[in-house]
Amino acid sequence: MAALNYVGSRRGKLLFAGSVYAALIALTMAFLFPLLWIIGLSLKTRLQVFANPPLFVWWPTWENYVAVFGRADFLQAFVNSLLVSCGAVSLSLLVGVPAAYAFARFPFFGRNFMFFGLLAMRMLPPIAVLVPMYVLFSKIGLTTTRTSVVLAYSTFSLPLVVWIMRGFFEDLPRELEESAWVDGASRYQTFFHVVLPLIRPGLVAASILCLQLAWNDFLFAAVLTNNATRTLPVLMAAFSGGDTGVDWGGMTASGVLVILPVIVFSFLAQRHLVAGLSSGAVKG
Amino acid sequence: MGGTASSAAEAGIVSAARTRSARPGASGRWLDRHFIKFAVLPTTVLMLCIFGLPLLFSGFLSFQGWAPELGLFDGKFVGTANYEDLLTDPDFLGSIQLTLIYTAATVSAELICGLGIALLLNVDLPYIAIFRTLLIVPMMITPVVAAFCWKLLLDPDHGVINYWIGEHIVWLGKPGTALFAVALVNVWQNAPYVSILLLAGLRSLPHEPVEAARIDGASVWQMFWHITLPLLRPYILVALLLRTIFEFRAFDNIYVLTGGGPANATMTLSQFTYLASFVRFDLSLGAAASWLMLLMSMLLCLVFMSTVHRRDVS
Repeated sequence: MAALNYVGSRRGKLLFAGSVYAALIALTMAFLFPLLWIIGLSLKTRLQVFANPPLFVWWPTWENYVAVFGRADFLQAFVNSLLVSCGAVSLSLLVGVPAAYAFARFPFFGRNFMFFGLLAMRMLPPIAVLVPMYVLFSKIGLTTTRTSVVLAYSTFSLPLVVWIMRGFFEDLPRELEESAWVDGASRYQTFFHVVLPLIRPGLVAASILCLQLAWNDFLFAAVLTNNATRTLPVLMAAFSGGDTGVDWGGMTASGVLVILPVIVFSFLAQRHLVAGLSSGAVKG
Repeated sequence: MGGTASSAAEAGIVSAARTRSARPGASGRWLDRHFIKFAVLPTTVLMLCIFGLPLLFSGFLSFQGWAPELGLFDGKFVGTANYEDLLTDPDFLGSIQLTLIYTAATVSAELICGLGIALLLNVDLPYIAIFRTLLIVPMMITPVVAAFCWKLLLDPDHGVINYWIGEHIVWLGKPGTALFAVALVNVWQNAPYVSILLLAGLRSLPHEPVEAARIDGASVWQMFWHITLPLLRPYILVALLLRTIFEFRAFDNIYVLTGGGPANATMTLSQFTYLASFVRFDLSLGAAASWLMLLMSMLLCLVFMSTVHRRDVS
């Protein structure tokens, strides 16, 4: 449906537009204020952070960011987060994309069973998988490794990949594959040389949405890592777990650095957000 | 679903016939015939290893008295003792009640805010897309960091919120305000999620009913209440289902903001299970609690899906 439109006098139209903009500006300010305030805190010196009344205008300082980049634990956690997120996305793409193709194109034994399995993986509470996973992983010596986190992350990234990619495969016209088969290409050649290149935008969308989920996860990483393998959210929770302490500048600066990549992702993935959000529930 | 499945089946037959006639080499033919199996196998194996087997094992564990120093299958069978412990534990029963109240409150607040935002974003004016982009940001950011931002905003001594109110409120230290604060942070983060879903719904609605009503002289309110809202119902149900499922498992925000306290005021089921399993290391009890959680969320899913399905059919 087309967007809502105001029908009426010119004066009424202007009034309507004005009030919509006013409401949107107020809402956006309200929703973004917490973030803007935190970014502000990260650019203040310790004295400015605790100034009373709070400072709304000041000369920004970069000292907190410089300090964060000098912290070994932050850099280690950053590397861990990067490795674990990329690992989870690669594993899910590698495993899930062929399955999504099969889902979109062919009937096969156990199709419905798999459908419900993936739905369950997406819908059921992660802590229910985490408890037995922790026990099993600790007995085979996988806990506190990054591998265990990558495996754990596929509980949410695999269903997401299969769902998003299935939508993309279904939108692809069948004729291309069929003519490749007629020309004597095998199913594998068709999949790798005809279908995959056409589906590249889908691969990008799925990767971005999975990266965002993996980067943001806290629960799995909190249980399955130690001080050497912990990811950024775990480190942030350790910073702020008990008392907030006095180093608000340093904490906010690291917080801003943690969310910066996902904000960039969100701008990149905007078009595909709906498909990702509702995967399984509606066709996006 | 039915249409795509049958056309997929047809294509499968057609292509299978072609494969048989056109492919040279016996091994190539064999590989080709089993293409679908090879495509599906890795996903099946991974699903079994990280989801199926762990869940079965946790079901087994929940009937055992197990301690971390024991071998995997060395626990003692204790029957339903773990479940009995849970269902007679006032803390656990309290956390079920709290989780249900918390879920109902946050989900309804998110739906109302989300619908409002979606309606505003659906107005046809220049530069609306900018607001859409900006309003998405809270739902994308790391929940732990979001909670931590709010912890500083709500700080009793130096927080900007107390400065504006002009009072010294210990938001996260008192049961009533702590639950409110935790719910507020979740609504702040997830109302945009609902609005994006509903905006997609609004954009896909047909034109004609609204146009017809307008010509008949219906007011804006009448058009919204009698036409847009009923047409939007399937999308609202989907948003309701997804948000209920995600709020039911709420963990990250609460862990950082209050850790379940004060006095269990924010002890949701996830929080309870986490503490039992990974702080007290009573993993059998944790397994039992997580199975009860599983059953409850399956029940929620079934109720919603049957509702959605019935509407689709009628």
